[in-house]
Amino acid sequence: MPKIAIDPITRIEGHLRIEAQVEGGRVAEAWSSSTMFRGMELVLKGRDPRDAWLFAQRI
Amino acid sequence: MRAVENALGIKVPDNARIIRNLISGIQYVQDHVIHFYHLHALDWVDITSALKADPGETSKLAQSISPWPKSSAAYFKMVQDRLKKFVESGQLGLFANGYWGHPAYKLPPAANLMAVAHYLEALDWQREVIKIHAILGSKNPHPQTYLVGGMAIPLDPNSASALNADKLALQRQLLQTAKTFVDQVYVPDVLAVAPFYTDWAGLGAGVGNYLAYGDYPTDTSEDPARLWLPRGVIFRRDLSQVHPMDHKEITESVTHSWYEYSDGDAKARHPWDGETNPKYTGPKPPYEFLETDKKYSWLKAPRYNGQPMEVGPLARMLVAYASGHQGVKAAVDGVLKALGVGPAALFSTLGRIAARAIETQLTAAELLAWHDQLVANIKRGDLRIHNGEKWDPSTWPHEAQGWGFHEAPRGALGHWVRIKDGAILNYQCVVPSTWNASPRDAQGQRGPYEASLVGTPVADPSRPVEILRTVHSFDPCMACAVHVTSAAREAITRIQVA
Repeated sequence: MPKIAIDPITRIEGHLRIEAQVEGGRVAEAWSSSTMFRGMELVLKGRDPRDAWLFAQRI
Repeated sequence: MRAVENALGIKVPDNARIIRNLISGIQYVQDHVIHFYHLHALDWVDITSALKADPGETSKLAQSISPWPKSSAAYFKMVQDRLKKFVESGQLGLFANGYWGHPAYKLPPAANLMAVAHYLEALDWQREVIKIHAILGSKNPHPQTYLVGGMAIPLDPNSASALNADKLALQRQLLQTAKTFVDQVYVPDVLAVAPFYTDWAGLGAGVGNYLAYGDYPTDTSEDPARLWLPRGVIFRRDLSQVHPMDHKEITESVTHSWYEYSDGDAKARHPWDGETNPKYTGPKPPYEFLETDKKYSWLKAPRYNGQPMEVGPLARMLVAYASGHQGVKAAVDGVLKALGVGPAALFSTLGRIAARAIETQLTAAELLAWHDQLVANIKRGDLRIHNGEKWDPSTWPHEAQGWGFHEAPRGALGHWVRIKDGAILNYQCVVPSTWNASPRDAQGQRGPYEASLVGTPVADPSRPVEILRTVHSFDPCMACAVHVTSAAREAITRIQVA
């Protein structure tokens, strides 16, 4: 039974990987993985709360 | 923005409320149309088939579904010639990387050609209508005029440097342009394409739980009942009951995510107590497969009441529909009737596409009403745009915490902030794609993408267009613009088939 990995999934914003186990012509099991770390939370720590939106908006 | 305003107890003036609604609303309209034509349509539309279409037949089809003027045989012939030239050049550009000729493509050549024409028109249209972000936000993406307590955009009908009468007139014209395209192109196209793919109304349902924070305040009361798109939770596809939403029921698990919690990974944490301690334990690239029985994603697994939740236009439309929202109810029932299906068809890949189109149409209409409200306020002489009472940190409490909600185009977006001595102590964002693309949690429950893919037919595992259809129907946005990443790491760009 083939296991397939699609990485990257294109025509989206960002980086997504899908792994799927295919059995009898159908997906039997699937896993969704984001392959990049964002870390916005670490960027914001200690900053002036009035500036938070300008950073967080980029997500 | 709202998280900080919520923590500090800051209310924004009515004009700031409306301008935020306008910025966010036109974002829905532009984003949903881009998603349909440029990110999703090519899963359903075969470019190569469009080359074989008879432009006369395409013209007949287009004129039978819409009064949109660009519908002559000569016009479609021109689009086809343009496409031919493009394909003959051997550089497919936009249209590279498609599974053309796959048996899962069902549209007749005429419909394919019509869709390609609208794909190209939508590119020009989206550039025009988002000028509203330039008017209200100074630029796009990432409008610059937000400000804790309101907006940083002066209102003055007679000043060249303010939001004045000329700019408002242009804005109304752009909103009308937006609405006309949605009414005459996007929605008719969705209704024309859907009947060829009704099997997808029975595929891709997923977890069947839907979460909407709601958005677009209709007044400054901050009462959740006064949101244009309502707030609520639906469990197990039960439309007879909309549960109230309490953000304290939200937790994030890292059992299958490349993070570690200071007191162990077994317990999920509410975002106010959230931690971001990255720890990659996956295979060293290049690898064939991830270790999916262990940790396998940079996304945490958010849960509501311990349950995985789908967010996005479908969740919003279902919550509104089940809450008895009049506009949504009429629009959803209209589409269901046009397609000859019942409400159960909404729990599907096709349901997501239909819900997005319905939401766009309703939002495009509502935007004009919001614009008129803003103009009426200005005419009355109400030019207030910012509440600066608590701008100075000396007015803040020693410690505060807040929760900010927003319905982004892709779904429920929450920010949680803790402020101590005027600085951010902790900030956690749970974004729409974290909900939808979530990995498994401590209980082993699948996330929405994962659950929606189980049972999806795959005719040819080397060309899995069916998987793309369902994943794309959620409109994924994986940490849209900012990543903290190692410069040494290379992108993996191959498709592996075992």
